[in-house]
Amino acid sequence: MLSLALERVSKSFGGVQAVSDVSLEVTPGQITGLIGPNGAGKTTVVNLITGVLRLTEGRIRLGDTDLTEANASTVARLGVSRTFQNIRLLKEASVLDNVMIGFHRQEETGLAAQLVGLPSSWRESRSLVKRAQALLERFGMTRFARHPAGALSYGHQRRVEMIRAIASGPRVLLLDEPVAGMNDVEAAELGHIFEDVAKSGVALLLIEHNIRFVNALCRHVYVLDSGRLIAQGTPGQVMHDPGVIAAYLGTS
Amino acid sequence: MIAQQLLNGLITGSVYALFALGFTLVFGTHKILNLAHGSVFMSGAFAAYFAVLNGLPLWFAMVLAMLCGGLVCYVIELAAFRPLRSRGQIEFAALIASIGANLMISSLAQRISNTKVLRFPFGTFPVQFYTVMGVRISLLQIVIVCVVAILLAGLLFYMYRTSFGRQVRAVSGNERAARLLGVSPNVVFFQTFFISGALAGMAGVLIGLSFNSIHFLMGEPYLLRAFVVVVLGGLGSITGAVVAGLLLGVIQTLTVAYLPTGLSDAIIFSLLFIILLVRPSGLFGSAITATAARRQ
Amino acid sequence: MSFAAYQPLLDFFLLSLGFAYSQQVVLRAGVFSIATPAFAALGGYCSAILVQRYGAPAIPSVLLALVIGGVAGFLISIPLARLRGVFQAIATLALVQIVVSLAYYLEPLTGGATGIHNIPKLVNTWHLLAVVAVVIWFMYVLSRSGVGRAFDVLRQDEMVGATLGVSIARYHALAFIISGALGGLFGGLQSLYVFTIEPEMFGFAFLTAVLTYIILGGPRSVLGPIVGTAVMVALPEISRPLAEHRQFVQGAILMAMIVFLPHGLVDGLEVAWRQRQARRLDKEDREKRRAHAVAGP
Repeated sequence: MLSLALERVSKSFGGVQAVSDVSLEVTPGQITGLIGPNGAGKTTVVNLITGVLRLTEGRIRLGDTDLTEANASTVARLGVSRTFQNIRLLKEASVLDNVMIGFHRQEETGLAAQLVGLPSSWRESRSLVKRAQALLERFGMTRFARHPAGALSYGHQRRVEMIRAIASGPRVLLLDEPVAGMNDVEAAELGHIFEDVAKSGVALLLIEHNIRFVNALCRHVYVLDSGRLIAQGTPGQVMHDPGVIAAYLGTS
Repeated sequence: MIAQQLLNGLITGSVYALFALGFTLVFGTHKILNLAHGSVFMSGAFAAYFAVLNGLPLWFAMVLAMLCGGLVCYVIELAAFRPLRSRGQIEFAALIASIGANLMISSLAQRISNTKVLRFPFGTFPVQFYTVMGVRISLLQIVIVCVVAILLAGLLFYMYRTSFGRQVRAVSGNERAARLLGVSPNVVFFQTFFISGALAGMAGVLIGLSFNSIHFLMGEPYLLRAFVVVVLGGLGSITGAVVAGLLLGVIQTLTVAYLPTGLSDAIIFSLLFIILLVRPSGLFGSAITATAARRQ
Repeated sequence: MSFAAYQPLLDFFLLSLGFAYSQQVVLRAGVFSIATPAFAALGGYCSAILVQRYGAPAIPSVLLALVIGGVAGFLISIPLARLRGVFQAIATLALVQIVVSLAYYLEPLTGGATGIHNIPKLVNTWHLLAVVAVVIWFMYVLSRSGVGRAFDVLRQDEMVGATLGVSIARYHALAFIISGALGGLFGGLQSLYVFTIEPEMFGFAFLTAVLTYIILGGPRSVLGPIVGTAVMVALPEISRPLAEHRQFVQGAILMAMIVFLPHGLVDGLEVAWRQRQARRLDKEDREKRRAHAVAGP
């Protein structure tokens, strides 16, 4: 059970400080929240963790492993998965194929065996298909398995992206505004799924705009504004923090 | 001897530059590699040839060649690139569409010319040589340099001193932002493609005159060299295209003169390969070109 | 007409299909490489020189052509991993030009512009059929494996691939190696089939032909190149005007495909069919729900 820790992380683009001096910890088995108004730097934090962007200062650790210099695919191989704020599915591929891609780093047959089509490779492919179908079943998406992902409704696409991230067997899962554009019923449904995933020992970081949703799910919440952490604590503590209220309602 | 080679190289290079200017203009503004640029060049030469054959004066034939090149290039824009524009990533699609356009135009030209090499009638351009300080220069070469210089000056004036040019540069900076500022992209596309084609058309006439040979595939070697020129100069950079064009002309003339046949091309294209790896933004390219070329 | 009349056409189709797969595999992995003519030239000269100059037997010569192509593919994949998009296309185009101009220059070895002639014809239709069958099997296995899935994700969205742990450098290198090996293999076979090899065979015309097969057929499916190549090889045989205006038709096909069916015939129809299925399922769903609502309280 490894937790993800950011230690005094900063990122600047040119002269603009997008994230400054942010420290936070995402612990396994629970959902940690990261909230903040638009443009606070939430997605930048996700990009820094996943190695899409390089940090200017600070350190990122997963357990004892240093992720500070790692690139995106290394970070992924170490067990960090994410979803994207603007859904990124392979639109023309089927839903099943989209989920299958999530298994990439669990494939064990060697390249050579795959290329010449050894029976072991076929067996693995078949078992992955079964696992993908089981995941789709679990999230009530079985009947869409053969659909091209791009043809699904917005909510369903979000769900497929979630399933793909879960398929990758993450130790840390970063959810970038997963319920944006959903109604309360759909959001609540997805919330139960997050809780399930967290219970299985995954460290979840929920990046959200919607404070109500975060309060319902998270035990610990960080608040980001203009690239800085302005508060942290339980949802109750954070909601009564004057700085947070000012950031959300605007200083008067 | 070496001075003579240098002079010849610079003159060849000025035509390379003229050809590459239009190519780099379209890439710089719209991020489109127009592989049909060679056939636009060829169509300019064809237009001038038929104009001269019908008794029109050469200067008029040149103007006609520019018009023809401009129109052909704009038609390519309409037929090959515009339908793709609503899609996001069109780099590769545009490349393929322009290969298609290139095939169609050059096969039309092949039909018109019956696969034969066309030659301007004798006396279209007076054959006259001058010797200055031991270096021989022909009247045609002088005209080539003057024409290229005038067109380059015109292009720079247009891009940097007129409101049209500012629109073009706005689009090349950021198409969406330019649209928000009320710049109509279609007007800009018309301008860049027309200018690009007109420059190529004139280059076609100049090359047709200097070798007195016009052929439906004449654009191919120039297109391949244009890659070297625009990458060396920095994709999208006007200054870069001129300097790199001249440089390539000199390198080519010297390598052809002093090295065995075949090696010249190998050197030039190795140069292209190496620049792409070492400095993809070229001599004058911006940092933006470098990030577009490199994987982060 | 008898089979014999169509045999040269079949052979031409089989050779072209090999080159088509060489081009397809890089495009499938999202690499804008157009280096297939370079690989074909390397393999072609390799087997031509070995067989004609040194009297080497066919099988090792062709295998060496395959290895040389694969190694060349691997070597250029290293620097090309640093480039993106059209810059990869330009770099591979430069590579093709370098190989072709070296073929002109290295006259003692390659015969320069005149090339090498009187190469013994050691390859016949049955050999080609056998090799192509193996290649198709290989491509099928590849497309069903994790490698195929990794290629697909890199083509459609590199960033998603990276965040799922797909190593771009590794899979692009693999695509280049396979492309190079296939290009070298069929280049080698071609030399031992057509008697002659010269630098001009690997110019722009070769490049556009190979690209057309894939644009027409599709970059993903195994069937795509077969359909694309078959159509392009058969078209000139169907009618005289098509043969006379072959270049024009080819250009028109390229433009029309990229505008109207950018995924090619096979892949495009597959996607369209799946979308139709999806719409049908959705409609049934809606009707069921409506019926439920009417019947309900």
